[in-house]
Amino acid sequence: MQSLRILGAASVLALAFGLGSNKAHAVGAPAGTVINNTAEVSYTVGSVSTTTSSNLVTVTVAEILDVTVTAQTPTVGVAAGETQRVARYRVTNTGNGSETFRLVMNSVIAGDQFDPVPSATPIYFDSDATPGLSAGDTPYVVGSNDPVLSADGFVIVLVVNDIPASVVDTNIGFTRLTADARTGTGAPGTTFAGAGNGISGAVDAVVGTTGADSAADTSYSVSGVTLTANKTQAVVDQFGGAQPVPGARINYSIVINVTGSGTATNAVFTDNIPANTTFVPGTLRLNATVLSDGADADAGDYTATAPARVRVALGSLTTASGPQTVTFAVTIN
Amino acid sequence: MFKGSGFFAVAAIVALGLSSQALAQTQGCIVLKSVAEVEQVSINAKGEKTTKLVPAGKVVPGVEVTWTVTANNTCKQPSEKVTINNAVPEHMTYVANSAVGPGTDVTYSLDGKTFGTADQLTVQENGATRKARADEYKNIRWVFKDSLQPGAQGFARFRAVLN
Repeated sequence: MQSLRILGAASVLALAFGLGSNKAHAVGAPAGTVINNTAEVSYTVGSVSTTTSSNLVTVTVAEILDVTVTAQTPTVGVAAGETQRVARYRVTNTGNGSETFRLVMNSVIAGDQFDPVPSATPIYFDSDATPGLSAGDTPYVVGSNDPVLSADGFVIVLVVNDIPASVVDTNIGFTRLTADARTGTGAPGTTFAGAGNGISGAVDAVVGTTGADSAADTSYSVSGVTLTANKTQAVVDQFGGAQPVPGARINYSIVINVTGSGTATNAVFTDNIPANTTFVPGTLRLNATVLSDGADADAGDYTATAPARVRVALGSLTTASGPQTVTFAVTIN
Repeated sequence: MFKGSGFFAVAAIVALGLSSQALAQTQGCIVLKSVAEVEQVSINAKGEKTTKLVPAGKVVPGVEVTWTVTANNTCKQPSEKVTINNAVPEHMTYVANSAVGPGTDVTYSLDGKTFGTADQLTVQENGATRKARADEYKNIRWVFKDSLQPGAQGFARFRAVLN
């Protein structure tokens, strides 16, 4: 029986972190700010100079409703059947007044090859000190703990999905997080009279250029390196034929193929010597390089103690490595 | 019969009375009005777009506010050296070249004390001198070249964007 073991295999995952490059900024004057202005005129009549002021003009700053959602991990490398895979987002209040936002996640998005399966609790706030999904993170419950963000304030949100078992390498599945302002959304310029929060009380709230809602997608990208071994044998008997009689030799050839993306690190091929046969010393080879039987610095070794087996270290393999061929011979007892 | 100081006292009082009357006559000669407006775009029955200025009560960041100052001479004498001053409102940024005023010379200030034209105002930055930007202006001044005649109105306007 042969086996192919990948020790410490790790696919190279395409993780892109938005390290401070996805920050959005709020507009300036805080909602509710009162702006006073007076003009002055100076003039001379005869020999008398005078300065006088105009009436006081007051302009109040309305609340602008704006929000921006950015994907902090735009692509997450996953494997088929994995559970609790996390997509991280940053939700920023880019308006000028404190605002409550509602969050919605959706994994049925057109343009991908599979739909990630939302976890029973699909949205969390990354609320504890450990980045990523951990025991201390608070689950989001719509209408119960909708985030309240001040102008320029933000919150990190984790969206959790499972990966279906049926996906194959290079499949992509999108998951989307949407945030919208509770005071109101709509076409930019839409006004909700008196519904805004200002520093001095209620003000008009006006929808800004984002429409007061925003969404961002994360791609779950299936990337898994796979090794397959294909074994063939050729029997050569001591009489020049191919009869599998006692004393005949069986030459085994195992071709290991690499498919998929990523790297199989520390791949090791192991094959047990079949029952009723005996390993022929010195016949172990990797890609035509002779490997010594003893456990030493080279890649291969033979162990006689039951279960007798040959073992070859293949190193780190990618599709660029090409097929690896292991050969060895036994004689039929 | 008036003697000595008494006479002078009366004269002094009369003199004072005349002065305050003169002062009262010049104070309030110019009535200054200021108004803040925003542009409102409407589409008429023909589908044509028209814009008009409406009072700006509540304004959203990013909107341009038009400030208009009018000076009316309500006295029987002309007013000389008429100068209107307006600080750029807080939380607002002056729109370059938007200051207008028929018959005036417009200058700006970065500190409220020294005034100059857009070409004259400079700023020191990183050891070099550069022309000041419109968003750095703190005050605007309109100096009327001619006197303001009785019953006449002087007009000054500028625009600023709410930050």
